[in-house]
Amino acid sequence: MVNEKEKTGGQVLEEWKEFVWNPRTHEFMGRTGTSWAFILLFYLVFYGFLTALFTLTMWVMLQTVSDHIPTYQDQLATPGLMIRPKTENLEVLVNLSDTKSWNQHVQILDKFLEPYNDSVQAQKNDVCRPGHYYEQPDNGVLNYPKRACQFNRTQLGDCSGLSDPTHYGYSTGQPCVFIKMNRVINFYAGANQSMNVTCAGKRNEDAKNLGDFTMFPANGNIDLMYFPYYGKKFHVNYTQPLVAVKFMNVTPNVEVNVECRINAVNIATNDERDKFAGRVAFKLRIIKKT
Amino acid sequence: MKKNSEVQALRQLGGLTSTRVAELLAQNGPNVLTPPKETPEIIKFLKEMVGGFSSLLWAGAVLCFIAYLIEFSKDKSASMDNVYLGVVLIVVVILTGIFAYYQEAKSTNIIASFTKMIPRKAFVIRDGEKREIPAEQLVVGDIVEIKGGDQIPADIRILASHGCKVDNSSLTGESEPQSRTCHITHENPLETKNISFYSTTCLEGTATGMVINTGDRTIIGRIALLASSVGHEKTPIAIEIEHFVHIVAGVAVSIGIMFFIIAICMKYRVLDAIIFLIGIILANVPEGLVAAVTVSLSLTAKRMAKKNCLVKNLEAVETLGSTSIICSDKTGTLTQNRMTVAHLWFDNQVYQADTSEDQKDQIFDQSSATWASLSKIVTLCNRAEFAPSQESVPIMKKVVMGDASEAALLKFSEVIMGDVIERRKRNRKVAEIPFNSFNKFQLSIHETEDPDDKRFLLVMKGAPERIMEKCSTIMMHGQEQPLDESTAAAFQTAYMELGSLGERVLGFCHLYLPEDEFPDTYSFDVESMNFPTSDLCFVGLISLIDPPRSTVPDAVMKCRSAGIKVIMVTGDHPITAKAIARSVGIISANSETVEEIAKRLKIPVEQVNKREAKAAVVSGMELKEMSPEELDELLTYHTEIVFARTSPQQKLIIVEGCQRQDAVVAVTGDGVNDSPALKKADIGIAMGCVGSDAAKNAADMVLLDDNFSSIVTGIEEGRLIFDNLKKIIAFTLTKNIAELIPFLIFIIAGVPLPIGTMAILFIDLGTDVIPSIALAYEKAESDIMSRKPRHKKKDRLANHQLALYSYLQIGILQSVGGFFAYFTVYAVQGFKPDRLLYLRPLWENDSLNDLEDSYGQEWTKYQRKYLECTGYTAYFVAVMVQQIADVIIRKTRINSIFRQGLFRNKYIWVGIASQIIIAVILSCGFGSIPILNFTTLRVQYWFAAVPYAIVIWLYDELRKLLIRLYPGSWWDKTMYY
Repeated sequence: MVNEKEKTGGQVLEEWKEFVWNPRTHEFMGRTGTSWAFILLFYLVFYGFLTALFTLTMWVMLQTVSDHIPTYQDQLATPGLMIRPKTENLEVLVNLSDTKSWNQHVQILDKFLEPYNDSVQAQKNDVCRPGHYYEQPDNGVLNYPKRACQFNRTQLGDCSGLSDPTHYGYSTGQPCVFIKMNRVINFYAGANQSMNVTCAGKRNEDAKNLGDFTMFPANGNIDLMYFPYYGKKFHVNYTQPLVAVKFMNVTPNVEVNVECRINAVNIATNDERDKFAGRVAFKLRIIKKT
Repeated sequence: MKKNSEVQALRQLGGLTSTRVAELLAQNGPNVLTPPKETPEIIKFLKEMVGGFSSLLWAGAVLCFIAYLIEFSKDKSASMDNVYLGVVLIVVVILTGIFAYYQEAKSTNIIASFTKMIPRKAFVIRDGEKREIPAEQLVVGDIVEIKGGDQIPADIRILASHGCKVDNSSLTGESEPQSRTCHITHENPLETKNISFYSTTCLEGTATGMVINTGDRTIIGRIALLASSVGHEKTPIAIEIEHFVHIVAGVAVSIGIMFFIIAICMKYRVLDAIIFLIGIILANVPEGLVAAVTVSLSLTAKRMAKKNCLVKNLEAVETLGSTSIICSDKTGTLTQNRMTVAHLWFDNQVYQADTSEDQKDQIFDQSSATWASLSKIVTLCNRAEFAPSQESVPIMKKVVMGDASEAALLKFSEVIMGDVIERRKRNRKVAEIPFNSFNKFQLSIHETEDPDDKRFLLVMKGAPERIMEKCSTIMMHGQEQPLDESTAAAFQTAYMELGSLGERVLGFCHLYLPEDEFPDTYSFDVESMNFPTSDLCFVGLISLIDPPRSTVPDAVMKCRSAGIKVIMVTGDHPITAKAIARSVGIISANSETVEEIAKRLKIPVEQVNKREAKAAVVSGMELKEMSPEELDELLTYHTEIVFARTSPQQKLIIVEGCQRQDAVVAVTGDGVNDSPALKKADIGIAMGCVGSDAAKNAADMVLLDDNFSSIVTGIEEGRLIFDNLKKIIAFTLTKNIAELIPFLIFIIAGVPLPIGTMAILFIDLGTDVIPSIALAYEKAESDIMSRKPRHKKKDRLANHQLALYSYLQIGILQSVGGFFAYFTVYAVQGFKPDRLLYLRPLWENDSLNDLEDSYGQEWTKYQRKYLECTGYTAYFVAVMVQQIADVIIRKTRINSIFRQGLFRNKYIWVGIASQIIIAVILSCGFGSIPILNFTTLRVQYWFAAVPYAIVIWLYDELRKLLIRLYPGSWWDKTMYY
């Protein structure tokens, strides 16, 4: 076995040059023009075929998927809870001496609550019978558009933000936090029994620091008439029920961990892995110069 | 004569007794050198840990820890996922390292045992008997016999020498052969001529000596000169694999860095960019490949050993696979190395004898009375005897003491007439003249077995013309007839006819001595020849040949179809050489030599167009006068060449000539002076039975059965290992793309990650490992011995056809199939494909717990994460399913799968079963272990990629079909890897 002689740098460069363009054989990168043309044509055809195959299979697959309800909902057996204002790390920070710090929350809330205005609701949605599910079977007409029940902003009482100089209490250090339950199609929350949202401090000291709070609607009730949800395509004006919590005297300058959960027969709130299943944990922090 | 009697005397001493030998052996240990220290095992082990892809994985692990530290410094409660991944990577490196180390050790052991198995034998006199024993068992005091070509088995003191010369160059540097005698010529043991040393070689002559030192106590052992001979060179296969590793690692690192930069430019966080980098590196590194390759190498080593080829290193197997010319010896390799009766002539007729290995049926006419006489002569006028104590051995395999022709005749008569020795006893021998080159005949006088017949019978055999001279009558059908012109002419014709077949012809005659002249008390004196040696009665001719091995013609045919030229190089007479070459097909039936054309056309040899003759028989004399250019011309224009009457030195010239033709040359040899040619050849093949130690040392491979067809088997193995490695690599590379594309799409299109790093590891080291190893068991494709030998420099292991086909075609196809499965599981859960685009920032936001899907439903982070894992699982399963199709298509490179047989390689099915089982266990069993990121997948989504798998199969069948239909076309050149 004879070792090949080491190539000098110049030779390597020459070889590369020749590889990139070989003037003798008219080869570019080791292939002639025709060869390149063949290659490109081949890959054009090949990838064209692949695209067609992919499109076909995707089309077939999407044909099997219904427009108004997903094939499977097993992942959404327990709807999650979420708060508004939605903040980074779910921390509601109110610095009383810094208007900007809470003004952004207020703006979010203003926008969020706009569709809940009584006028909008009255115009678009029905008045439903409380305590009963608002079921709207298709009755043979496939994907019949569904009506939604009214949830008027005024139901949120002190937290409605209507003609409210305190801006949902943010300017006075008594912020309102809105709890909402994730929408899940055809989910009969509460299983025909009344349900409500309760909040508490996470640990003992949190409970102490949390102080009093008021809930709107009273007791944090969520009415059955807002269920079931029929999906965004056919349940266009669906209005998600809300529960507002107004924290009256949170101990300032400490971080308070709050956890709200829904009390409903068919919603488990003790999932170890999903910290937001039927509950929501957030932090409240009121900064007040003493 | 005096020397011979000395040896006889020494033999009669009887040597050591077995009990004494056992004592000495226990006391001094075996006659071997303590092997030199090798690289410490721990170093070898550590090398496996850092070599090749391992360094990339280490880098990946370090990146994982860095990513965790960055995260941890920002947020004390950062998830430990990256730490786990880093730990897993390290475990992977260590495990594959251990595995590679173990396999390496295993194949080294096989090869090491080869070196041991190359038998070193010594002839020793013990218990009054001459025996052949392994050299390790020699002890001090043993009487050993050595002959030219042997390696001296221990330090010995010469007791009797017969022109013995040794090569001491390895010890003293003297390149001249040194003669050895039994006289002390110097005080210094290194100088004196009556000692020869362990491991030096006896070049010529014979000698008998007494062992004075063994093992480490020998001179060589003391200066431990042998320690340096154990070099470890990289085999071409190792180089090819390294080359391939470098390319893949290069691709991995450059794509990784490219996307790292792209990610940074797209304003991803550095942390995310690092995680992408890890993913891309992981996707590109075929972690399981090292294991598969090492397994396939040690598998080949094992297989070769089974087929009687001892390979000194695996390099040799591979080189053997690319052989384009074999220069083969005749004797022993192409032939049985055993003179055998081929033809008989008596009663004016030629009879053919069976020359096959077992000679079961001798079908010639044995009823003639002439045959009775002839058989008597054959039996009696023969000094050969069977060696003692081999009653149970079949006749043809019995060891015979005596020269080759006599042995042939002995076996021949034993087969036909039964107990020869008994017959000789009944016809007691009273006088004998052994064969010598001056007389050219052999004669003996016997009493006859008939108790009433008191005559002596004189039997004689020898060169036919000499025997004929001494005869005045000839036996025809049992009757003596005077020898007239016509019978003499018939004799001549028969003699010429047999001679032209390249056979050695012997004449046989006898004479019953008249009772009155030679009474039974008559004292015969062989010195004064007081008996008639003329006017004898001629009985018949027997011709002998060393017949070709029965497997050789097939093997030669195979070589020819494999584009390998077989050249016969022999010291034999051209006529014999040509006859054997014809009978084994080295010269095919319809090709002619220049001389034959001349004879056919009746023109002088000079006028024949040399190019017309395919075959050529060249003698050593002619070769001597050829210039290198003429030799080149000869080698180029004649496809069937026989070199006869060549010296071992000329073998070297022939090898060099072949190498000038850019050929990979395999050379067989057995003698000491073949070693230069064996060394010079690309692959030297020594004969295990008859080969000298020197030849075995110079060779790369040893044929245990000396059989030419074993070479062809070796070539097939060599080609097979190359093919199978290609298949393994192609299989392994394919899914790299399917693992890489998700990351690219993830970064560019912002979809939720289609496959996680853990799942990638589980493909590379879980589902794919057994199938890729199973490919090493794949049988040869039908074209393996019908295509041209591989060009060592042009045909690489991982060529661009292989890379392009695997990466850009099947790999992309697999990715598309994977994405189909991925999109499917998202769509059925509520996220249609359009919703997924650029969803990533929201999708991965931990505090966003009400992400809306295509239906308006809202998802918490955990619910999304779980769906993401389902996506991983779906993609993983899709790749697994398509890899099943991949392993099936990789079974062949050119043949249809159906031709190769779907079920011939059972291991493939074991592999496929393992893929499915591992995937099922991961998905169902470990779905609950969060770190593994697998979930239980609904049954129907296991089949999402099946259409793609079928497309892969169909497409590959189409590819192979077009290659078969249009060889040499653009398609063939681009698609055949």
